Amino acid sequence: MKYVKRIVLSLVFIAGLCGLLLASSRIFVPKSNNKESGTEEVEANGILGERPKSVDGVVLGDSESYSAIIPLQLWKERGYTVYNCGTSGQTLDYSQVMLKRVFSRHKPKVVLMETNAIFRPISRSNMFYTMLCERFSIFRYHNRWKSIDIDGISDSVNYTWTDEWKGYRYSNLVNASSSEGYMSPSEEYADIPEANLDYLKSMKELCDENGTKMILVSTPSTVNWNYKRHNSMKEAAKALDLDYIDLNVEAKEIGIDWTKDTRDKGDHLNYSGAKKVTTYLGQYLQNTGLMKSHLGDPKYESWDAASNKFEDLISRQK
Amino acid sequence: MFQISTYFSLAYLVLLGITVVLCAVLPKNFRRLTLLFFSWLFFFSVSGKLMIYLILTIATVFNTAIWLSNVQKEQDTAAKDLDRETKKLIKAKYQRKQRGILALCGGINIALLLMLKYSPFAATNINTLLRLMGASYQIRVPSFIIPIGISFYTLQAVAYLFDVYRKKIQADPNPIRFALFMSFFPQIMEGPICRYSDTAYELWNLERVRFENLILGGERIIFGFMKKMVVADRLNMFINEVFTHYFLYDGFVNALAMVCYTLQLYMDFSGTMDVVIGSAQIFGIKMPENFQRPFFSVTISEFWKRWHITLGTWFKDYIFYPVTMSKPMKHMTSKARKKLGNHYGPLIAGGVSLFCVWICNGIWHGAGWHYIFFGMYHFALILGGNMLEPLAIKTAARLKINRKSLPYRVMQMARTTVLVCLGELFFRAHGLRAGLVMFKKIFTEFSLATLMNGSLFTLGMDIFDYYIIIVSVIMIFVISLLQEKGINLRQSLQKKNLAVQFTAVYALIMFIVIFGAYGQGYIPVDPIYAGF
Repeated sequence: MKYVKRIVLSLVFIAGLCGLLLASSRIFVPKSNNKESGTEEVEANGILGERPKSVDGVVLGDSESYSAIIPLQLWKERGYTVYNCGTSGQTLDYSQVMLKRVFSRHKPKVVLMETNAIFRPISRSNMFYTMLCERFSIFRYHNRWKSIDIDGISDSVNYTWTDEWKGYRYSNLVNASSSEGYMSPSEEYADIPEANLDYLKSMKELCDENGTKMILVSTPSTVNWNYKRHNSMKEAAKALDLDYIDLNVEAKEIGIDWTKDTRDKGDHLNYSGAKKVTTYLGQYLQNTGLMKSHLGDPKYESWDAASNKFEDLISRQK
Repeated sequence: MFQISTYFSLAYLVLLGITVVLCAVLPKNFRRLTLLFFSWLFFFSVSGKLMIYLILTIATVFNTAIWLSNVQKEQDTAAKDLDRETKKLIKAKYQRKQRGILALCGGINIALLLMLKYSPFAATNINTLLRLMGASYQIRVPSFIIPIGISFYTLQAVAYLFDVYRKKIQADPNPIRFALFMSFFPQIMEGPICRYSDTAYELWNLERVRFENLILGGERIIFGFMKKMVVADRLNMFINEVFTHYFLYDGFVNALAMVCYTLQLYMDFSGTMDVVIGSAQIFGIKMPENFQRPFFSVTISEFWKRWHITLGTWFKDYIFYPVTMSKPMKHMTSKARKKLGNHYGPLIAGGVSLFCVWICNGIWHGAGWHYIFFGMYHFALILGGNMLEPLAIKTAARLKINRKSLPYRVMQMARTTVLVCLGELFFRAHGLRAGLVMFKKIFTEFSLATLMNGSLFTLGMDIFDYYIIIVSVIMIFVISLLQEKGINLRQSLQKKNLAVQFTAVYALIMFIVIFGAYGQGYIPVDPIYAGF
């Protein structure tokens, strides 16, 4: 009887704690998706402020992705509504979180997963932390105690903000890279962490459930990419039945010039390199026939406005 | 928050949880093996192949203690039924042998510690000396990866060896029991430095986990998390910034960083000890306390009896007393007593012993001149305090000051705290020179400009961070005050009804969840003492 009482007490305690965490999560969750409201990674989460079901393509990945793919160029050239949800040092547990958020607001036709993040190991502790944050957002947003006010507690969640460049981070810096030894053919394979393959599989399933095509993309980088990774990625894509494009293999065809197209010695592309990659991807997406042009559609006027603003900025930089 | 290999990691909590569950259901013989298995698993997960050093220490110390014990038995047999003079001769012979054994094994372990921890420092200094002497030859500076906790478990092993030598305890014939005493996972990284007689048999005769212990231990662990995650880790960014770029900031910022570092060190180490002692309590093990509210100390000497207590008692038992009680020191004391009187006479031998203790204390914390300075600073303060005590008593009597009155004691506490903070400045500074510059700035460049123009709140901590630190410190101060008055809060809480108990624990957990320095914008901070 004593043991039963103790077990019941423990369960009551845990249930009470969960209740408290849930209640506090409701209080602490940002009521908007802008920086002031306390949302993390605002550029990527700007997708939540786009008109529901208006985004047809999503990019996931780390800094390679937001440096290499320009959504507003895809809009201008093809009329595609693509949003770049890449974040610095993104790990696949967070890619999965982003993907779930995207599906809660949009019905994208295509998800482009930049592959550099697939090789980034995630500790079990971080996986657990991410999972905990998903269940109880107080763990992610606890630091909002510094800015929370009474209105912020009672308001309902209303995402209104979006990034004017749709997640792309512009840089016109040039810091040349040597391409010596870059993508030298190899029969070897790089290690993909087992947990990451599980995440990839789970994201693919999520895409399948939503009728979305997931495509793996390796954007050009002399620092991060090599043939071993290419081999592993190709094998993983085959095993998961995913399309895979390695733009490192195609770098010459795309026209990447490592003396001009990188901002940090081959680690990331600059605007000049990103333009070439985006042009190539635009053609690729067109060939899939999955996306349609929204150019001229009055419902997408905001994309025209954003594109014009972006063009202005580019012309001023020149 | 959930970084592996610290006591504040998910990995540790999971390991603790699994071990607790197993120790709650398994029979006694399996419980001790389970505890040893998980202790080694923990050490391996933290240090990997460096675990060989721990095993080496366990093996050498265990066998040496048996060897010493056998020699002691031989001595007893050889001296049996002999006259007093012959007994004395035999005792001397066996004493020499025992000392040789002790020196061999203690030497191996201490040499290992010295080699891993101090040889790069020694080599660097030899090279500097060679350069100053104009020699073109330089020796290679070695580089070693140090197994975590080596400074703690080596002292624990040496203490065991000395206690066997002094016949305070019997050499343990059971290698598993000894290995468990040496490796118990909650304490292996940062102590407390336990004595064999304190914990070895408690660990061996591990009781089934009791619900009361689970609650009490759990509460203490949560309190430790609060100290570490809300206060210590929050202070880290500001402290790092100022101690790295001290030359950019005025005296006020440097002084604030000094105070913040003292606070961080206390919250970090005492918080870790709360987790360690709380974890042990869950298993029904009573570990020695390492802190006893040190900032209530009225003298530096008292401070060191309340801060890192097990290290202090180790130095007292294995350095201070042996040096003081050695023949030359005894001789010196009796001579000095005749010339200088009963107060100042023993101070000379005591001073020599104190010097040995504090040079070791400084070096124990790390290989660097600022650590040696830190040791010498406290040596000077304690010795100076002892020397000036008669004068202080006389002066207070003349001025009719009651030395036991509260205002006088508060003044003493404040003075002790200031002196401790100054010591910690040198302890944390990037080298002795940096420490001296910071110290000088406090007195020569003191200005409140950064506070007035608000730039202080851009140095890794904003104003809200200061608020929460102040609130937390007040909370911990009140709890400490109650403890100082002999009130055990956790036991008092257990007597309250369930609603009150649940509310108190929920409040503490939510305080950590909301105000903890973890997640985006914070870098997990490894416990500071694990680095020593």
